[in-house]
Amino acid sequence: MAWDIRTDAAQKTLWIAGELTIFSVLDIRGRLLEALSAADDIEVDLGEVTEIDTAGLQLMLLAKRKAGKTVRFRHHSDEVMRLVDLANVGHLLGDPLLIKAN
Amino acid sequence: MDTSGNFSQALATFAEEARELIAQMEEILLRAEEGGCRDDDLHALFRCAHTLKGSGGLFGLDEVVRFTHVVENVLDRLRKGEIGFTSDLITVLLESQDQIDAIVHASLDGGVGAEAVQRSDALIDRLGAWVPHAHEDDDEAAAQVPAEQTEAVSASGGGEIGSEHWHISLRFSSDILADGMDPLSFIHYLSNYGEIVHVETVADHLPDLDAADPEACYLGFEVALRSDADKHEIEGVFDFIAERATIRIFPPHGKMEEFIRHIESAPLGGQRLGEILIACGTLTAKELETALNAQQAAEESRRIGHILVENQSVHPAVVEAAATRQRLHEEKRAGEAKSIKVPSDRLDALINRVGELVIAGSGTYAQASRAGLPELHESASLLLSLVEDIRDMTLSLRMVPIGEVFSRFPRVVRDVSRELGKDIELVITGADAELDKSMVEKLGDPLMHLIRNSMDHGIGSAEERVAVGKPAHGTVGLNAYHESGTIVVEVTDDGKGLDPAKILARAIDKGLVDAGAGLSEQEIFRLILEPGFSTAERITNLSGRGVGMDVVRANVEAMRGTLDIQSTLGRGTTMRLCLPLTLAIIDGFHVGVGAAHFIVPLDMVVECVELPEGIDSVDYMELRDEAMPFVRLREVFGETGAPQVRPRVVVTRFGGRRVGLVVDRIHGKCQTVIKPLGPLFGNVPCVSGSTILGSGEVALIIDVARLVHDVAGREQQHSRKGGPVAAALAPAAA
Repeated sequence: MAWDIRTDAAQKTLWIAGELTIFSVLDIRGRLLEALSAADDIEVDLGEVTEIDTAGLQLMLLAKRKAGKTVRFRHHSDEVMRLVDLANVGHLLGDPLLIKAN
Repeated sequence: MDTSGNFSQALATFAEEARELIAQMEEILLRAEEGGCRDDDLHALFRCAHTLKGSGGLFGLDEVVRFTHVVENVLDRLRKGEIGFTSDLITVLLESQDQIDAIVHASLDGGVGAEAVQRSDALIDRLGAWVPHAHEDDDEAAAQVPAEQTEAVSASGGGEIGSEHWHISLRFSSDILADGMDPLSFIHYLSNYGEIVHVETVADHLPDLDAADPEACYLGFEVALRSDADKHEIEGVFDFIAERATIRIFPPHGKMEEFIRHIESAPLGGQRLGEILIACGTLTAKELETALNAQQAAEESRRIGHILVENQSVHPAVVEAAATRQRLHEEKRAGEAKSIKVPSDRLDALINRVGELVIAGSGTYAQASRAGLPELHESASLLLSLVEDIRDMTLSLRMVPIGEVFSRFPRVVRDVSRELGKDIELVITGADAELDKSMVEKLGDPLMHLIRNSMDHGIGSAEERVAVGKPAHGTVGLNAYHESGTIVVEVTDDGKGLDPAKILARAIDKGLVDAGAGLSEQEIFRLILEPGFSTAERITNLSGRGVGMDVVRANVEAMRGTLDIQSTLGRGTTMRLCLPLTLAIIDGFHVGVGAAHFIVPLDMVVECVELPEGIDSVDYMELRDEAMPFVRLREVFGETGAPQVRPRVVVTRFGGRRVGLVVDRIHGKCQTVIKPLGPLFGNVPCVSGSTILGSGEVALIIDVARLVHDVAGREQQHSRKGGPVAAALAPAAA
């Protein structure tokens, strides 16, 4: 039931850990906007996301809609991949996805 | 991070809902056993299981879902009339209901143990007898569906599309996420019904990140599902979000008109939605073209769409389902308007505050009286009476019908009578008598024991009963009614009755009384409440669960109540619990001894008289030609302050006995907010609590029951039996 978000010094990369859900999207959106106000192009690392729901997925899609800015997601965790696959939004996100061999 | 609080709150709501549903299942099953089960009930039963499964799934309680699914299958067959109730089936279903209860609680408390899973498996096996192919029901469904569809298609005429899968279109109200629903988890859940062929996320309405509320839902989904399930089942998946979503479900080989309407109503514009439908494989490009052309045609003539709707193109089952849902929804609305749920801790906080208000109010009133200003006095007394009204209303908020406790007993009686091999019926009356919620919770265990006791010891076997000319089936009665500020709960049976001679013999045997004690019948019956009376031979696996009648008595007394026993040998026994309506605030009668203040519960005060002169040496007085014992509170509590020349006697009545309390001063009626004594003072005799007076002083609340009991004991010790005092102490009822 917890989440954490870290940035590097240059605010170019964000790491989200824990929940990317309805409980955390408000905070995470705030941090994204903060980062985007400093840089035009940021990367978000999802490797430590342990839980994601519709709200979380929606936030990923929303992040792609910031005019004039680019947000790229990387290291999608298994949980994230599962939901991206279910909702079939890989092409909407446009980030390279790593398909793991079973 | 109070968001996690939201989740546990939702979980608590689920636990409560589950408890209600499980109780409802039990009630229906018991009714079914008596043959009083209607079609409505069968549907309700199915809905209970279905809802449990659904909410369980929502919270990821897999074991609940797995087990309830099987139960639901059986209930579904019952509902469709494919199987009927038998005694065996009801027994298995009742056990299953217990199991659901157990695994719901286990899941909420941290996890379902392996043992519980085994029990589930065992029950699933037994339930299998009513679902011939528990694991092959998919095949069955598959066999049925095409038949249905041929019919539907022939009824509605042409325009059928080629696709072989269900198409489900979902749009949500924006608050669905904030309300704790996760749409994708529902879509994921669909995979239990078949194969999800394709999901198209409709993200066209996403605003810019700056403008977006990330807790609002902007997404929609179009899902293609290959499944043998029927429309009911697929709709059922979305029951929980039905009110917050627009859900359109199109069957395989659906009619073109329906898609035309879907496309027509799409805010995206027909072309975009059409593309999505093609992506899902629901429509081919050619079909889309036909549809869009048809849409244009429809726009021109405007009416076609309507005509098509009216033209038997809707399945009757769909209409029925919609009607049922609407009715349910309306009923729920009506129910919501009548009552609201409030967490009990908030209510407790309110009652605490009202308690403080009552104390402060009495204080103000006392000050105002002393100030000698008539206007001030008048307005203070108005204020006080308003505060009293608020006190009564607040306390009534906590009142719940006693039926809440009673409702668990039909099941207990059923199970126990089977276990004992006796035929026993439970008759409940007065279930709507109300009492304080906290009392209801505490009443369950003592009542459970009394009822088990009546069934086990009171009611004999059928042969014994017939031999003495009674009907073979025994009756246990549970009755509740209000009587002057108290609630009386009676457990009656038409069994053997208590045998005073036997009880006395056993008590003497156990050394509880002297052989020559000369007890009244009532007193003898009360012996069974003494610790140490229960003996090994009386204990069976039912009533001997480590709770003796003495513990029942202790429980009842802890609630400031009494337990009386009436019994006629050969006719039956009545156990009568007499309890105060509330534990929080009472009307008290304020008296003073020396420098100390005491409160006597006002319900128990009969009258006040002067202590006749010249009877310093005896402990009884004459009141209207009857002897009445009294106690001097000064002696009982060791008060040393200057005595009053003319002491008063407060006459109290309790359990048919009258006892006078000799006090120095009488202050009169006052509001008493009961504050429990700390554990340190738990064993102080004759005091049941304390309170704070308006003046800020502490007063002790006198436990009249204990006092009366002690006086009676003292009289017996002094072996003055046969004298006027002992006669007066004997209960009026005896």
